[in-house]
Amino acid sequence: MTEPVLLILFPLAGSLFSLLGKLVPAKRVCTALALSIFAAMAVVLFLQLPLVLNGENLTYALGGFVREPGISLILDGPAWLASALIVLISLMVAIYSLDRPEFDLRYFFFLLMLVAGMEAVVLTGDIFTMFVSLEIIAIAAYVLIAWEKSDEGLLASLKYLFLSSVGILFFLLGVFIVYRDLGTLSFAVIAERIAELKTDPVVLGALSGENRFPEKIGSILQGYPGRSINFALAALCVGIGVRTAFIPFHTWLPEAHAWAPHPVSALLSGVLIKTSFFALFRILAVFHAFHMHSMLMWLGSITALVAVGWALAQSDSKRLLAYHSISQMGYILAAAGAASVFSVPAAYTHAINHALFKGLLFLAIGHAIHMVGERNLFRIGPLGRRSPLIALALLFGALSISGIPPFNGFVSKQLISHALDGSPAYILLWLTAVGTTASFIKLSRIALPGPKDISGFRRHDSNHRHSAATVIPLVILSVLVLLSGVYGAGYTRFVWRLVGDPSVTAVEFPALFKVDKFTDSLIILLLGIALYFLVMSPVGKRVAKRVSGVAPKLGTVLTFFVFGLALFSIAAWR
Amino acid sequence: MTWYLIGAIFLLGLWGVIGLKNLVKQVIALSIANSAIIMLFVYYASLSGEDAPIMDTAGIPVDPIPHALMLTAIVVGICIVALALALVYVLYQRYGTLNMDELEDRIWKADD
Repeated sequence: MTEPVLLILFPLAGSLFSLLGKLVPAKRVCTALALSIFAAMAVVLFLQLPLVLNGENLTYALGGFVREPGISLILDGPAWLASALIVLISLMVAIYSLDRPEFDLRYFFFLLMLVAGMEAVVLTGDIFTMFVSLEIIAIAAYVLIAWEKSDEGLLASLKYLFLSSVGILFFLLGVFIVYRDLGTLSFAVIAERIAELKTDPVVLGALSGENRFPEKIGSILQGYPGRSINFALAALCVGIGVRTAFIPFHTWLPEAHAWAPHPVSALLSGVLIKTSFFALFRILAVFHAFHMHSMLMWLGSITALVAVGWALAQSDSKRLLAYHSISQMGYILAAAGAASVFSVPAAYTHAINHALFKGLLFLAIGHAIHMVGERNLFRIGPLGRRSPLIALALLFGALSISGIPPFNGFVSKQLISHALDGSPAYILLWLTAVGTTASFIKLSRIALPGPKDISGFRRHDSNHRHSAATVIPLVILSVLVLLSGVYGAGYTRFVWRLVGDPSVTAVEFPALFKVDKFTDSLIILLLGIALYFLVMSPVGKRVAKRVSGVAPKLGTVLTFFVFGLALFSIAAWR
Repeated sequence: MTWYLIGAIFLLGLWGVIGLKNLVKQVIALSIANSAIIMLFVYYASLSGEDAPIMDTAGIPVDPIPHALMLTAIVVGICIVALALALVYVLYQRYGTLNMDELEDRIWKADD
């Protein structure tokens, strides 16, 4: 009963139930069945947890094909954490979507396909299954982004489609080179062969000789055996990098995440980009690509800072959040690239925390937009007295993303600063924190008390009330954001046990709630307030209008893409 | 020679996606680039033997794995192309243009 393949099969079964709902009249029953799969997945994850913590047999061959071309799944610590995150956020999003008429059973079909794809990406044990799952995710995501059939949504979906399809072509090229040079697709065997390559340069020649049918291959790269695998690594990174949306591949994200339906935005920003990050990290680990880490650290820091600059300039509330997703991905990437025992746990903690608070923010903002019928954050108006729940949820999210204690953003930012200790890249992240605080002061105007009844409400009179389906996810996510911050020490220890380096036994966790940490947060907060007034000044507003007007076209973006590939190829060379 | 030809087809498709100004042509170019990758796998596998990978063949059977992989990749590629064309079609019905730059200008600039 505890096979991890059930984590992929359950959502597929759920999507089947959703389709059945189109045929039989019992729609409520089908919805309930479709949603009960999340409970089933949670049970599987719970039963697997002891095994994962003990580090016992973590590879599962599918269909009993143990030998190498057979497909296997890996449920180790990082994969467990990632799938638990996927289940949690998708469940919140599914509940939130329940009482809207536009999200019918077909919507749940695509949602559950997306969940199945994400689970498959984090659990897969071979590189081609990863490609297929990435494409399942992509197709479901394109449809969901364009779900409301607005012009903006359709165009955003199309732009995302072009970019990620070109990216996935490179991924497939990388798969080809891996198969040609290493003769395998399984992560475990790739890791072995790459290790052989690293330890013994003589193997380089032997390996290409060992290639299954050497005499018949007339490859262009034949003269450089072993070197072409570096290009394969770069191509794989670029293919996933488009989904992960760091600079220079980020340009599709603001539009796609801003114009998707609100719950879909929460899902995309919350877990979808994390999923591709987890995949990227697995590939880097399999290829022993530690030489790329410092580049990732710098790329992440620059991404964080540049994206927060763009976020400050936005007046569209959802687009502001979307730019922050890029910025926070930069944080995660920077943490993952740092050379420290804490780097991986810090990255994973921040990934989880970001999923929690960004899911909360997108759902809360989405509901505010739904109530008022207005996206511009200056025109949504203060909602504090009209809807205390949304105001409180927004406030929790904003405090958390700004790294104010005792919310969970504070915890993971402390871990990241510990991991990046002494590195010059940390200055960029520190500046990013100031920018983040400033832009969330800007967004927090929605949470101000304000008048009890403003004119905008009359336009969407029926949307006033909060149904249980809206309240439950907001409350659960708010509570989680707070609890994972207050109990930050125990929480980080748990993450460490799952993703930390097992060879490091005596590990010293940074003390979280200490006076000097608080003063640091206070300085960031004060500088953030100063920056906020700077941005809101007439000069700042003019600059902001200029900056937010810069939107690269598809052709330009694809050219960035080629540059990105070149950059990664240089970084991957060894 | 064949390797270079496949490479040329791939680059042609890539250039089409980046450089052309007609969305339908760009989708077709994407499909061409995808086909080039598929040919790459299939051609590589075809070098590995001389006979179909069926039990009891006389000659050396070719490696069947790339073929199996490419069946999946072809199906995925078709889904992407179909979806892309559907999106392009709806946008064309609404705006009467197939130029991505023009669409981006008209749809996203209109919000500010």
